[in-house]
Amino acid sequence: MTSIERVFTAISLKEPDRVPIWMLIDFLPVKYYDITAKEIIEDPVKSQKAYEWLYQELGGFDFGLPGGGIYFQFINVFPDTYSAYYLDWRLPGRMLSEYASPQLFERSHNNPVLKETDYNRLIDDGFFWLLNFNRASRKDSRILGKVAKKVTKNIEKWWNYYKTPTIAEGGATIPFELLSFFRGSTNFMKDIYRYPEKIKEVSDFIIDGLIAVGEYGPMMSGGKTIIVGATRCSADFISEKHFEDLVFPYLKKMVETFLKDGFIVQLHFDTNWTPRLHYLEGLPKGNIYLHIDERTDIFKAKEILGDHMCIEGNLKPSLFSLGSPHQIEEHVKKIINECADGGGLMVGSEIPDNAKMENVKALVDTCKNYGIYRK
Amino acid sequence: MKQKVSKVEKLVEAIIEIEEEKTYSLVEELLNDGYDPKQIIELLRKGVEAIGTKFENKEYFLTELVMAGEMFQNSVKILEPFLKKEQGEKVPSGVVVVGTVKGDVHDIGKNIFVTLLQSAGFEVYDIGVDISPEVFVQWVKEKNADVVGYSGLLTIALEAMKKTTEALKKAGLRDQVKIIIGGMPVDEMWMKEAGADAYTDNAFEGVKIIKNLLKVN
Repeated sequence: MTSIERVFTAISLKEPDRVPIWMLIDFLPVKYYDITAKEIIEDPVKSQKAYEWLYQELGGFDFGLPGGGIYFQFINVFPDTYSAYYLDWRLPGRMLSEYASPQLFERSHNNPVLKETDYNRLIDDGFFWLLNFNRASRKDSRILGKVAKKVTKNIEKWWNYYKTPTIAEGGATIPFELLSFFRGSTNFMKDIYRYPEKIKEVSDFIIDGLIAVGEYGPMMSGGKTIIVGATRCSADFISEKHFEDLVFPYLKKMVETFLKDGFIVQLHFDTNWTPRLHYLEGLPKGNIYLHIDERTDIFKAKEILGDHMCIEGNLKPSLFSLGSPHQIEEHVKKIINECADGGGLMVGSEIPDNAKMENVKALVDTCKNYGIYRK
Repeated sequence: MKQKVSKVEKLVEAIIEIEEEKTYSLVEELLNDGYDPKQIIELLRKGVEAIGTKFENKEYFLTELVMAGEMFQNSVKILEPFLKKEQGEKVPSGVVVVGTVKGDVHDIGKNIFVTLLQSAGFEVYDIGVDISPEVFVQWVKEKNADVVGYSGLLTIALEAMKKTTEALKKAGLRDQVKIIIGGMPVDEMWMKEAGADAYTDNAFEGVKIIKNLLKVN
């Protein structure tokens, strides 16, 4: 099977030839290949070479990362779009060393982008007034078009030459998470108690726009996958009631639309989702898979959602830096033993920048050798 | 007197139920009724403590911890003008220096931890994010800290945690200060690598651990 066939078989809840391997390797090449973090972000040609090198070095895996498309967009949105809008990114070669991975700086407590009195203004005036032109550079804007073409070529190469799907070409944010970024997470947690009705009103108002933004990336690049990320609405952060009122209706509408419009949805749900997994049964079946990290119980996920959606996870990223190949192998085997039956499983993790290569290789090799479906 | 008792109960209940406005009104009412502000602070602590228990029982989540901290701090602001500095005043439970280590700028968890420590009666110095080992050493020395907390979310933070412990050793401070590391990814493996005494991925538990380390009730 090609990786494309393997992944689509798993997503359709059937057994492929072996368990697909999902890895988010974003800045790993900085440690092992002659490339800086700055180049990974800004040089789509060089970063594509680095990712292909890693792919060869590991003997292949099942999701490609297009050079220059870091952070799931068909074009590199750093730093222009993100920083100009609501996030304050610290970037390699600009505010950090050329070798350091970018970091998201949470707007401080005292200086949120969106003030608590501004919710109405979002409805009246939209979002444009929130743009922070101090952070956006004209130079970045000018090269964006050129970069986009190169990234699109890289996406095509993964799909057509390597027969490997790419991790995602579009990112969609549910209103709750977006507002949390605008307000700063701690401020927003207070707003949940102080202004729940305002949050709902704004969410109703912006959901269609956010769906359109999510579809823009894959539509422009010919890609297929949209990542719907959620962290700040997990069971680490908010109660079931708040999830029901302020999150799930919008998540559902978003996912339903993406699936109806023919996209693959990667639910990228970091932190603890175990107590909320049953809600995901309320999402339609289809080209959708759930990424979870080690804070969510993958065995429970399989039990609750096994017949409903493909599950991908859930090795702990720091295990790749601190653990041994043997530990990785044991973890992978356990996941395969408990969750592989019947298909609908991909094994994977986000791989930290300082991961040991032998540990990454242990993940790949164990899936290839141990994750074979025997009929 | 009976009325006061019921207001006391109401205050604790209002905090537990995260009824913010009601909490502030009751704090003011109790103050007007002649209640000792320090006693009111103890009631607030009782409420925050109960929220922590609900958090541990997974009835409450980070949002509720944040609200607990917020209600505590705003209530203390109401009480502050009435708090007299007295001789022999209750000393803080301990001195804690907390910061996010060099190379990491994440601070949500750290901020919540700091607020909870304050509400538990510790003297807390939040020294910010991206803090070098030298700065950690300086604060520990200057404030004669009992505990130092390293916060970090990124895997690379571990390296910085190790370096910070080494710097404390080099400055001859390691033996007089307990080290706790905190953040979503930390575990026993991290704790050992970082040369720390304790670890937690949970702000409320962190406060409990510090109480245990310092043998504070």
